[in-house]
Order: sequence, then C-alpha cells, then structure tokens
Amino acid sequence: MKLYRSILIFIFIIFSITFAKVKVVVSYPWIGYLVNEIGKDKVDVFILGKGTEDPHFIVPKPSYIAKLRNADLLIIQGASLEIGFIPALISQANNPKIQPGNNGFLDLSKTVDLIEKPEKVSRAMGDVHPDGNPHYNLDPNNIPILANAIEMKLSQVDNSNSSFYKSNLQIFLSKWNEKLKYWNEEFGKLRGSKVIEYHKKYDYLFTRYGIEIVETIEPLPGIPPTAKYIQEIISNSKSLNVKYVIVDVYNDKKAAQYVAQSIGAKFVVLPQDIGALPNVNDLFQLFDTILNLLTK
Amino acid sequence: MRKQKITLKIILINFICFLLFVMFLSFAEENIQEKFKDRNLSIRQKYDDNLKSYGVFNQSAFLPNISVITDFSFNNYNINENSNLFTPGFYNQNPLNTKGFNLNYSELNINASVDPYFDLYFVSSFNENNVEIEEAYAVTRSLSGFQLKIGKFRSSFGRINSQHEHVWDFATPPMIYELFLTDEMLNEKGIQINYLFPSNIYILSGIELLQGDNEMSFGNSSISINTRLDGTGQDILIKSPTKPNLFVGFVKTSFDVGNLSVLTGFSFATGQSRFDKIQDQNFAFSGKTKLYNFELTAKYFIDSYRYISFQTEYIQRSRKGNSYEYDNLGDLVTNQYDSNQSGFYSQIVYRFNKQWRIGLQYNKITNNSVKINGLNQSLPVNLDANYLMLDFNPTEFSRIRIQYGNKDYLFENTNKKRINEFILQFNFAIGSHGAHPF
Repeated sequence: MKLYRSILIFIFIIFSITFAKVKVVVSYPWIGYLVNEIGKDKVDVFILGKGTEDPHFIVPKPSYIAKLRNADLLIIQGASLEIGFIPALISQANNPKIQPGNNGFLDLSKTVDLIEKPEKVSRAMGDVHPDGNPHYNLDPNNIPILANAIEMKLSQVDNSNSSFYKSNLQIFLSKWNEKLKYWNEEFGKLRGSKVIEYHKKYDYLFTRYGIEIVETIEPLPGIPPTAKYIQEIISNSKSLNVKYVIVDVYNDKKAAQYVAQSIGAKFVVLPQDIGALPNVNDLFQLFDTILNLLTK
Repeated sequence: MRKQKITLKIILINFICFLLFVMFLSFAEENIQEKFKDRNLSIRQKYDDNLKSYGVFNQSAFLPNISVITDFSFNNYNINENSNLFTPGFYNQNPLNTKGFNLNYSELNINASVDPYFDLYFVSSFNENNVEIEEAYAVTRSLSGFQLKIGKFRSSFGRINSQHEHVWDFATPPMIYELFLTDEMLNEKGIQINYLFPSNIYILSGIELLQGDNEMSFGNSSISINTRLDGTGQDILIKSPTKPNLFVGFVKTSFDVGNLSVLTGFSFATGQSRFDKIQDQNFAFSGKTKLYNFELTAKYFIDSYRYISFQTEYIQRSRKGNSYEYDNLGDLVTNQYDSNQSGFYSQIVYRFNKQWRIGLQYNKITNNSVKINGLNQSLPVNLDANYLMLDFNPTEFSRIRIQYGNKDYLFENTNKKRINEFILQFNFAIGSHGAHPF
C-alpha cells in the first residue's frame, strides 16, 4: 500500500513539474522558434508542422489531439492556412482554454497587414485564401510585429513571468533589428529583378524589396501545371530576363527546372521555414539562406 | 356721423386685413424655411446610406459554415440487380446499387458555434426519394478532458462507422458493416461522453447510450406475429425492449513512430434485438446482441503528398434469443437462436502523388455459426469480397474514382452467385472547407 501511495505521489509530482511550464502548441516551426526565443525555459513548445512539409496539407494525426489536450496556448499562422486540420484537432481536444475566442488562442494573421486580399472568392480561382496571402512570415520586417504579439499573449497567459518575457523580447528584437538593417540593404540590391515562383509563397518578401514576380508555375493556387501551361510560361517569359525560378522543398522540381533551363534563369530551392533545408535552424539562418540563394 | 363710422370701419377692416396679411407672410416665411430645411433633410435621407434604416436586423455575420457534398456514380454488374440476393445467416436485402446512373446522396453540412459552451453539427442527406437527418448533434466546448455529444450522430464504434461516406477510401462499405449493420451503420440518437486522457499519448475512451434503432443488429420496436402464415391464428406480441436500448463503449489510442502514425482500439456494442422480417424472409429474431470490434490504422507519410496506409477492422457478433419462422404447414415456430458470427476487412491505400491513389480491400467472414435449438445450421463461411480502386483527386474538393470488385458472399436461393461490380464514382464538395481525414 505504501509503495502504491509513493508511486502515485511520484506520478503527481512528475505531472506537476511539467505543468509548471506554459505548454504551447504552434502550427509551424517559425512560430515555435519565436515562442522559444521569448519564453526560453518557461515554455514547452510543440510544433505540429515540419519545415519540409507543405503547410496547407498537415495531417490531423490523433497524437496531435493529445498535445492540444494539455496545451495552455495554441498559436496559429491563420488566414485559412490551417483550415484543413486545426478545426478538426481542436474540436476533439476537449480543452476549453485553446478554443478560438478564449485566452489560450492566438491567430497571428490578425496582427499584421495582409496583402493580396481577393475582392471576390471562388474555388474556380484555385485554393484561394479569402483573407489574403497567408505567408506574411517571409518578410523579415513583419517578424518584430509577430514577436511582440507573441510576447503579449505569453504575458497574458502567464502573467507572473511577464517581465521575463518582455526582456527576452527586447534581446531578440535588438538582435533582429540589427540584422534587419543588413537584410534591407542586401535584399534591396535585388530591386527590379524578375522571378518566377512555384506558388505565391514569397510575395511578402518580393513586394517589400521590389522584386517582380512575372509568373507562377502553378496556373492557379494548388493546381499543378500541365505541359501546355509550362510551354506558355516559357514563351511568355523567355524575353523577360528572369533571374530565378523558385520552388519550395516539397514542390515537384522537374517542371520548374525545365522552365529555368528553357528561359536561361537559375533554378533555386528556397527554404520556406526552419528545417526546410539543412543549416536552417532559426529565423536568422532562414533569411540568411534565402539571401544567399538569391544573390548567387 | 355716418361718414366717420364708415371710414372707421374701413380703416379697421383694412388694419385687420393688414395684420392678417403680415401674420400670413411671417407664417409663410417660417413655413418656407421649414420646408427648405425639410427638403435638405429629405434629400439627404434619400441618398445618404447612413441615415437609412435598411438591414438593421440583418444577421448575415452569424451565417454558419455550410457545405454541400454530392456523390454520383455509374454502377454495372454482371447480373440484373433485381434478383433476390442475400447472405445466409445475415438477412441483408438489396445489396446492390441500381444499375446505371445513381445519385447516391447530396449531403448538406451546416455547423457553427452555438455559444461559448456548445458547437452544433448538422448533416442532412438528400436523395431523390427522401430527406434524412443523418446527424444533428451538439458537442460541448468548455469541459476539460471530457466532451459530451448529444443528438443524432454516427457512433464512434470502430473506425469507419463515424466517417461519412465521402471520406471512405472505397465506393462501397466494407462487407462486415453491410452484413452486421447495413451501410447506414450505427447512426443513433443518444448521448456520448468521451474522455481524453491527459497523457502525452493519445488515449480516448468513451461510452454511448443510444436508442438502438439499427434493426440489423439491434432494433427497439415491438414485434407482432400471427401464429399462422395466412393470418388466421392469434397475434403474438413480443414486447419492445426498454429504451434506450443500445450501449456502446470504446477505447482508442494513437502513437507516432517517425513518419508512421498508428491508431488502434477496441469497441463494443450491446443491446436487445428486435428483427422482424417474417413476411419478407420468413425470419424474425428477438434477443440480445453483442458486437465486438478491433480496429487498426497505420499510415506512413512518405512526404507532404504521398502516403501508404493500412486499415483493418474485425467485428464479432454474438446473438442469443428466439427466432421465429413459419414451417411448411404455415404454423409459426419459435426456436432457440444462438449465433456467433465474425469477419474482417483489410485495406491498403497508396497515395502515389498529390492527385492519385490506388487501393485494395479484402473482406472475409471468418465465422458464421448459427445454432437453432442447439443444432448448428452449417451456414457457409467462404464468404468474401475484393475491391480494387483508383481515384483521381484534381483538388481536395473533387474526386473521380473507378472501382472494380468481386462479391463472393451473395446467394440466389441456395447457389452462391459471384458478382462482378464496376463503379465509376464522382464526388464534389462546395462551401466551407472540410477537415483533412486522417
């Protein structure tokens, strides 16, 4: 009996130790990175998606439901990017804290200005996002806004450590803003360059730095290209002096490589999140790698 | 004197007229001012939307998520589907879809949050003959660890039971579901309480208390049978069971090993049965039925778009009670009925690129033991079915599937008839985005 009791107490202690940290579940690695930078050892982060996966098609595995069951905070990228899996997960998580509208839920897309918001939507336009382009995390100038929003939410959920989060935020921001000057200068040198991208993924980056997107390999968002469409792209962009044909790590590379060859552009695979390529382990390395690949 | 009086009169009248005139003028001027002001306002009211009061009570902001999913198919068989096909020991009827073109269903899904405490899900199935409420239930959002589901819903018994048809990997339901529960499966009115353990591993447990409307294995009406086939005897009433009649319990767990995700579990369902097919099939049953289910799903994700998945379910059904039939002389006979029937299906589906999938499903009955008054009826056990499917998904919202199958579990009189089945199936979804299936 005594053994039983001590085992039970031991189990409770283990549980309470893990309860001491704020359990945060996030949809993508870049969000997880920011939460870890601001929360450090006071947060326990679980990331649903991997950098090597297409963010639109994360599968709602039952094991994710268990992670959400215990979460204190759920942070999503929003703008319908997670519409295929997050609603199914939170409706089965039996956790009132993380339901949209409650304190433990944060939709980061509401904290930044979204571009390319369509006036009217129809699925005949492909897989469009009615709120605008959801990939706002790929403009390094947006990161401070997002980091601020995350700190505010962490402080709200875990008030006792608010000053800790605020000071970590300041440390991160000073590092980031320093790097931002460098990136703004270097990316700025690409102003006027023309690119073709597979999916409308890097629009925030390109819009910020005046890089012109002349075509997408996808005829419509989420629709794979046909051979005929590939020929159209080639004939339309042959004379435009396109510098790069850009794909994500999970896209089919053949079509894009063929286009690049045919129009004399450089084929490049860009990382769209932490973990997409080796040596992309944090947000600094993410933008450094993108810069390197676009200035070779 | 008279002249003075007249002049005075004239002056007075004039003066009064003058006064009146002045009054009238000032009044008129005021009126004109008013009218002028009014006209300004009225012009503004006519063209300024802010002052209009249309749509004050418009509540379109609260429109729920609405989607419609429609399923069409072209079906062909090597026989005329009107022949009387059945499976010994199971009393299924009309196992084949109509030959040619079918509008299988148009499913209307509506869901939204009711308030901070509940979400409501509504699924109505429209086909050419009727409208059915497939599901209409509310779930709690504010309980920690627990969830209450109340209404009419697809039971969480087994793996495929709770999934809507458009999520199935094949155009037909597995044979064991068809035989034990019909393709409507366990779709009942009642309440479910589930508890998700606070562990790092997904462990879901739950119980359901349900009405027990599924007549294939349960049923909750009373049965009235005449002791004579020609109706000249007395009516025997077999009372309906106490309702709610069906109890379901389940426990499921899931874990990941790298890119492999596994979901497995046990379920069981127990309740009284009232099955009255005495007119059509000369068989009625009243007694107790227990269903046991083991499920296993293993999905290996090769990359963002490709996976290989294996899924299997094993169901065992045991029934004990009385069966009724008319003998050759048209007299009702009551027997002691004791059955133990079981079977499984296993399927492999390979999604080899973003838009294409291929799948193979094997169905088999493993036990078909029916004892009437202690005597084993030696019913056939070599009952199986195979299906091969290939589907093309242009986007997440549309699907074209071709499926070829061999059904070796259907009998015409005493002969097993091998059915070759060809299905070309189309499925389209509009409106709000559905959840990606696991």
